[in-house]
Amino acid sequence: MTRAKLGTVGALVTALALGCATPPRPRELDAYDALKKDPNLAAAGKRAPDLVTSSDKLGAKANDEWQSNDLEESRRDALMAQVKLKTALALAEQDRLKAKIEKLSADQAAAEEDLASVSKDLASETEKLTLLQKYLEARKNADADKQRLSAQMSSEQQKAEAEQQRLSSQLATEQKIAAAQLSLHTAETVDAAKYASAEYRAAADMIGKAQEELKSGAFAPAQASADVAKKNADHAAELAKPKYEQAEAANQNTARDAALSNDAAGIAGVSVRREKRGELQRLVLAVPDLFVKKQTTLGPGHDNVLDGLAQLVNKYPTYPVQIVGHTDNRGKSTELVAISAARAQAVYSALVARGVEARRLMPSGVGSDEPIEDNHSASGRAKNNRIEIVFLYH
Amino acid sequence: MSRWTKRRVFFLPLLAVLATLATLATPRTVRAGEEDDLQRQIETQRAGVSDLERLDELHTAGDEVVLLKAWLDEAWALRAKHEYDQVREVLDRSLAQAELIRQKISVSKLRAQSDKREAALTETRRKTEAARKALADTTVKKKALEASSK
Repeated sequence: MTRAKLGTVGALVTALALGCATPPRPRELDAYDALKKDPNLAAAGKRAPDLVTSSDKLGAKANDEWQSNDLEESRRDALMAQVKLKTALALAEQDRLKAKIEKLSADQAAAEEDLASVSKDLASETEKLTLLQKYLEARKNADADKQRLSAQMSSEQQKAEAEQQRLSSQLATEQKIAAAQLSLHTAETVDAAKYASAEYRAAADMIGKAQEELKSGAFAPAQASADVAKKNADHAAELAKPKYEQAEAANQNTARDAALSNDAAGIAGVSVRREKRGELQRLVLAVPDLFVKKQTTLGPGHDNVLDGLAQLVNKYPTYPVQIVGHTDNRGKSTELVAISAARAQAVYSALVARGVEARRLMPSGVGSDEPIEDNHSASGRAKNNRIEIVFLYH
Repeated sequence: MSRWTKRRVFFLPLLAVLATLATLATPRTVRAGEEDDLQRQIETQRAGVSDLERLDELHTAGDEVVLLKAWLDEAWALRAKHEYDQVREVLDRSLAQAELIRQKISVSKLRAQSDKREAALTETRRKTEAARKALADTTVKKKALEASSK
């Protein structure tokens, strides 16, 4: 066999092999086969068994036709098989979706119920929270108000205490000023303006200053001024008191002396004179005619004079009283002294008998040593024969 | 879609099937005017396509509609070539395709409804979770206030 013949035979065998080989699978058939792998195929078979059966038959037929190289028929049947199977799948999908929708509806109802429950709980909890917040806010405000009121009360209390303190200080100051004024008035009772004028003026000035300071609210300085004023006033009173008492006593003595003199002048048969011997003043009541000639006993008819003298001595009990006997100059001096002394003693006894304290009376006789008239005449001698009641004072 | 249009969509394929069966049952010699009959069937199905397009509000069956139109064009071309058997075969497939499109439209509408409900459920659950969290926060806050108020 030649090489050319062998080539021809080979070409024929190749052509025969190619002619007998299965043609390319139509893509419609491939698509159908791919569709058959759909996971929902079983569901589609249940939902539309007729369609699936028909599809299967058409698919098998298309496959056979392809095997038989009848490609056009295979393609058409594959297409129809696809359409039917797709329809069946669509129906199954509808059922699945309906079931899903139904489940979703149930789930939605449950979810809405759950949401309603949670929302209700939330609303309740929110309301509680709101109420709690309001309560806390109210309590916070109440605390703030309480604190504010407390502060206000504290402030008011402080003000009241300050006012009380001020009033207390004012009262203390007024009391000190009043005390100073009382001291000043006390000083005035002893005429301190006259007898301790510098201290008195200082006290009065300090009181004025204290009052000014009181008006301006300077209580401490006012109290100090009042204290100084009181000291000055007390000092003035202290200084003035003895002088005042002395002057007052002098005034009283003068008045008493004058009264004594007047009262003495009112006794009938008595002549009154004043005289001064050294520091002593003497009110002399001369009583003549109590004794006859050289006698030393009192004659009758002199009770009025003696009663008047006794009353006078008793009325002025502070005066020491001398009873001095006097005579004229007729006779011996020693004899005259004795007579005058005896006469003084007689008057002394008469006055004591009339209630005069004996210790106040000092009887003595001086004879004719202190005549008051001329002894050359009878009337003069009569006047010199006398008893003198002498009130002594400064 | 009007009631008349719904009825037409429902009955036209049925009429087409009946017409096809009648044609097949009729001997070839008596198929006078067969071409006109097929033409009417094709036109009827084409009218049905428009109705299907209107039904497909969510545009989920666009590919199938395109395919259906192509098949109807093919049927029309075959009719012109007097390939009546093939025309009927294509019309049968077109009727099945139309049914498929209706079911897919139903599926899409159900899916939309499902998605909507799922979204609503998700939203409700989200609200519930938010409310639950707010409740927990409120409880914690309340307890803290109660503790601080003692």
